[in-house]
Amino acid sequence: MFHRKKSLWLFLLPGFLGLMVFYVVPFFGGIWYSMTDGTISNGFVGIENYRRIWKNEVFLLGLKNTMELSLLCAPLIFIFSFFLAALLRTLRDRSLPYRNVLVMPYLMPTSALLLVWLVLFDYGGPVNRIAAALGAGRVLWLESAALRVPIVIMYLWKNVGFSVVIFSAALQAIPEAYYEFASLEGANALQKELKITLPQILPTAFLVFVLAWVNAFKIFKEIYFIGGAYPHDTVYTLQHFMNNKFAMLDYQDVTTAAYSFAVIVLALFGLLYLSKSVRTNEV
Amino acid sequence: MKKRRHPLRPGRALSVLLLLLVCAFVLLPIVLTFLYSFFPQSEIKSYLATRRQYGEDKWMQILLSPARVSLRQYYTVLIEKPMYLQLFVNSAKYTALILLGQALVIPMTAYALSRFRFHGRDLLFFCVLVLMLLPFQVTMAPSVITMRTLGLMDTAWAVILPMVFSPFYIFLLRQFMIGLPNELLEAGMIDGAGTWRCFIHVVVPVCRPILGAAAALSFADCWNMVEQPLIYLSKRQSAMPLSVMFNQISTDNAEIAFAGAALYILPALLIYRYFQEDILLGIQLSELK
Repeated sequence: MFHRKKSLWLFLLPGFLGLMVFYVVPFFGGIWYSMTDGTISNGFVGIENYRRIWKNEVFLLGLKNTMELSLLCAPLIFIFSFFLAALLRTLRDRSLPYRNVLVMPYLMPTSALLLVWLVLFDYGGPVNRIAAALGAGRVLWLESAALRVPIVIMYLWKNVGFSVVIFSAALQAIPEAYYEFASLEGANALQKELKITLPQILPTAFLVFVLAWVNAFKIFKEIYFIGGAYPHDTVYTLQHFMNNKFAMLDYQDVTTAAYSFAVIVLALFGLLYLSKSVRTNEV
Repeated sequence: MKKRRHPLRPGRALSVLLLLLVCAFVLLPIVLTFLYSFFPQSEIKSYLATRRQYGEDKWMQILLSPARVSLRQYYTVLIEKPMYLQLFVNSAKYTALILLGQALVIPMTAYALSRFRFHGRDLLFFCVLVLMLLPFQVTMAPSVITMRTLGLMDTAWAVILPMVFSPFYIFLLRQFMIGLPNELLEAGMIDGAGTWRCFIHVVVPVCRPILGAAAALSFADCWNMVEQPLIYLSKRQSAMPLSVMFNQISTDNAEIAFAGAALYILPALLIYRYFQEDILLGIQLSELK
């Protein structure tokens, strides 16, 4: 660790300036914006905008959908990635090709693959063929409230691999000796998982969950490409609301919605962070 | 480390089977895109025209092999319709400039945040963390005002510059560098190297895997960006990257949709092939876990 080095500024300054100009200043400037009335004189109105937006039904719809989608996606990512990482661990050095395949979708551009998904989930497409063959009815995946299902599947498809890699890394870091010792002491497989694996990967599990949850707040591209600016009510996200208000040049509503949301994200993050530090002190 | 080969036991056979199924599902959309890209234009056009038919007896065919393999649609995409190539070049331009800028800025910032001790360091890192968590839309409106003030609105720089300072990659590199053993830098300093030479000759080479991982992930981000150009380039359709316009093109010209998609995926696949080991290793070695 370097102390009191003048060269610090050489390293820090470009990044610092960029962060300030393009992120920090807009962030705080936005808070100011959300408290003004948007007229030419731009008078200060305090929390009036917030009071108004929390009564706005479209805002509440978007907020509800964004929350629900993320609460669907985050646990699914979490469970699938843990399950896949556990499977990969049983294969040891044979697992590399599978891991490589699982990460691949993370790098694939959404819009290029959209058409394939649209074909797969078409009313007459393969997914409905399978559904019909299994005796279930056909579903209007793309035109009804069921659109959430393809959206969640596309999201999982793209993002699960990244979490698998993080989980795998944590699992690999557990010393083999712990398990050997437990076996000598007569522990069975379940006990080993609960008493060794689980406590050892808890910090990672926390990170995977937070990342999955926060990233799930950002679900927008897929819905935008399928449903446009005004998709079905069940997938109209907060991002749609903000983009549409932005298109109407209603900056007050955009920023007010944005900071209402930011407060929620940060509160959740702070809560999870606190619960983590409490837990790691105990372990 | 010596590679140990384990015999395949029944429990493992089940793992392999499950993983094979998952991998098949993962590869399906990519494989289908490439497969369909070799279908002649007429066949693809009539196939896609059977979408959105809601009669109970109407099904799309399961299309697996073309009547004849064709490369004509690639010619159409690349040469006959210059619009596609133009947008492809836009995407490539943005991606290249962003990655170049990130390479210059982000490792240095991460180095300062991880290997120096100074007032406000933790506060600054906290800001990076918070900014990383927020969706783009949160700072969208004030960013536009910033861009307008700087005179960058509706220019390529409005898309490029904010991405150059992307908080996520500062976070990613910082988490890696903070895990480097102190002895490594002390050894460099005993040999008389200053902070700069430590950075160039010790830290950067050691960070090779995470730099590769960050480059690959950032490439994917840029190649896939939608929100930023939609806002910052709203008045300049011709400057849009392919990621924004691709759907428009493929709806208007169904016959070339898959060939366009295949060409669009190809750079991502190549980048992925080149950096795949770095992605796994970089994340494994960093303090993410």
